[in-house]
Amino acid sequence: MSWELLVDPSLFRLAVTMSVPLVLAGCGELLMERSGLLNVAIEGMVTLGASVAFLAGFATGRTDTALLLAALSGAAVGLVLAAYAVFGRRDQVTVGLALYVLCLGLASLSYRVVVGVRLTPPRVAPLPEVALPGLERLVLVGEVLFRQHALVYAAGALVLLLHLFLFRTAWGLRLRSAGENPAAADAVGIDVAALRLGASVAGGALIGLGGAALPLTLTGTFTEGIAGGRGWIALMLVIFGRWAPHGVLLGALLFAYVEALQFKVALVAKAVPPQFLQMLPYAFAILVLIRAYRGAEAPEALGRPYDREARA
Amino acid sequence: MTSETRGLFRSRAGDLWPYVGGIVLALVVLASFVRAAGGDVAAALGGIVRASFGSAVGLGQTLNKATPLMLGGVAVAVGMRGGVFNIGVDGQIYMGAVLAAGLGLGLVGVPPLVAVPAILCAGVVGGAVWGAAPALLRARYGVSEIFVTVMLNFIALFFVEYLSTGPWNDPLAGEAITRPIAPSAHLPMLLARAGAHAGILLALAAAAAVWALLYRTVLGYEIRAVGDNPTAARLGGVPVERRIAFVLVLSSALAGLAGAIEVAGFHTRLILGLSPGYGVMSILIAVLGRRTVPGAVVGSVFFAVLVVGSDSLQRSAGLPASGVFVLQAAILLFLLAAEGIRRTA
Repeated sequence: MSWELLVDPSLFRLAVTMSVPLVLAGCGELLMERSGLLNVAIEGMVTLGASVAFLAGFATGRTDTALLLAALSGAAVGLVLAAYAVFGRRDQVTVGLALYVLCLGLASLSYRVVVGVRLTPPRVAPLPEVALPGLERLVLVGEVLFRQHALVYAAGALVLLLHLFLFRTAWGLRLRSAGENPAAADAVGIDVAALRLGASVAGGALIGLGGAALPLTLTGTFTEGIAGGRGWIALMLVIFGRWAPHGVLLGALLFAYVEALQFKVALVAKAVPPQFLQMLPYAFAILVLIRAYRGAEAPEALGRPYDREARA
Repeated sequence: MTSETRGLFRSRAGDLWPYVGGIVLALVVLASFVRAAGGDVAAALGGIVRASFGSAVGLGQTLNKATPLMLGGVAVAVGMRGGVFNIGVDGQIYMGAVLAAGLGLGLVGVPPLVAVPAILCAGVVGGAVWGAAPALLRARYGVSEIFVTVMLNFIALFFVEYLSTGPWNDPLAGEAITRPIAPSAHLPMLLARAGAHAGILLALAAAAAVWALLYRTVLGYEIRAVGDNPTAARLGGVPVERRIAFVLVLSSALAGLAGAIEVAGFHTRLILGLSPGYGVMSILIAVLGRRTVPGAVVGSVFFAVLVVGSDSLQRSAGLPASGVFVLQAAILLFLLAAEGIRRTA
């Protein structure tokens, strides 16, 4: 096996494409966790976003409609989660797991209702490639980064904007304070409940978009297992990235690289059963987790419902 | 009886109404599905009853379905009681099934008295080994067991795909199915005419044993103490990490047993679709049963009726199999909402 394979530009290009669902979903989860909400429904929301995007694309043939509806589906689940976790103060993991299963069911149910059972699964048109004029001509980088579909650029911009929002604006500070010390935030007049609701809806929309990227950029079809653990990995990336957008981006690229690698390796190492190569990203995830947890500091109030009336 | 289990059996109307409401909601959702699919609601509901417990064969199917769900539900519930979320029941079922099938393929000529216990033990070991990795990582490095168990689900699934299409594949079947295990390793039948195997008895016995462990032993007391308040437990001298690791291994061993029962009692071989979502259903069952062992037992039978009933709807009214997830999750969300309203009211 030649080692040049590992630094092949087409491999990097595929890794960047494959990182998009992880970046979008990871940033959505990050936004929610920074406000104090732990969302374990993320895998289901990614699957639902993928299903909605596929069905909208299949029915209308328009990718913009597909993206919009997928974002709306994620936002709707985020709204329900916030209704339970913020206003009902229910246990976030319990509600999240229930919503996870609900989303899985809704995703395949709606696919079955709209598409039915067919011998060959229908496909949607992929997002078109948009070359950025000028930049695409750059040596190596041009091919890897700037001859991509629009969601790649959107994901890059999102990381920057989310960072600026969280760490350079008053609203970002308020959001983080709701996640660190809601009682103190409340005392200075910050509406913790409204902030968490907003973060949940916006974060949910991003997670839905992350799901939409799967059929629209990678597979072209929808299957029940389309998310393949990417939602859980995005949840993990938030820890890996220390609750910072650039950390999520870095982790997403790393994972996408390992994910893309299996396809390249499969071409060379024909003797290895494909299932063992498919295990690679998941085994890698477990190894990375051990490091990710060392010294990780979550937002102080993460996962804890805030009760204004409670005595300190 | 502890306060917790007493609370479950105390049938105050106020405690039960969210459950009644949840079942009514389930029926309404189901009826609207059937209507939307253009079916006859009354005939469909009658079909569910006949298919799940209104006939001998239906009852047998429900008991068979309740077996893995009961073991899975108890597995998740005992984990939650000890402060761990075992999301990896599916993977542990599969690894239990792998070891059971691997042993079962080679048990030709061994008398059932030896073969059946051996294959069940193999399942327990397979599940326990698959749960030992997240247990170790949680206890040693503080890594959340949620992620590790989920990742191991995928790894187990790919491994089963490899075995069932590769080295153990049955060339006559063609699909992702292995060769059959030795007939002497088959689980005995409980109700032969109804097609119910004896797995349900094993599941009930396992549930009783787990209940006794939790509420009748010092170890169980310590497990519950860790689940309620790890800091207080540590100050009280409980080795918190070791109890957490133990409860996760125990939980996955139960799931592994379910895998062995599916192989030895139902499929008589390892197949790729061995677990049609038992893992996620187990989570719902545990939450529905308020994280108690008796609650999970009752919940698993209820879910088995739902699964078998919606299988019949799949044939009669065209309701897809995934519809049952929506139904189950909707019931749970209704319960969570109803309890929230009751608490604040």
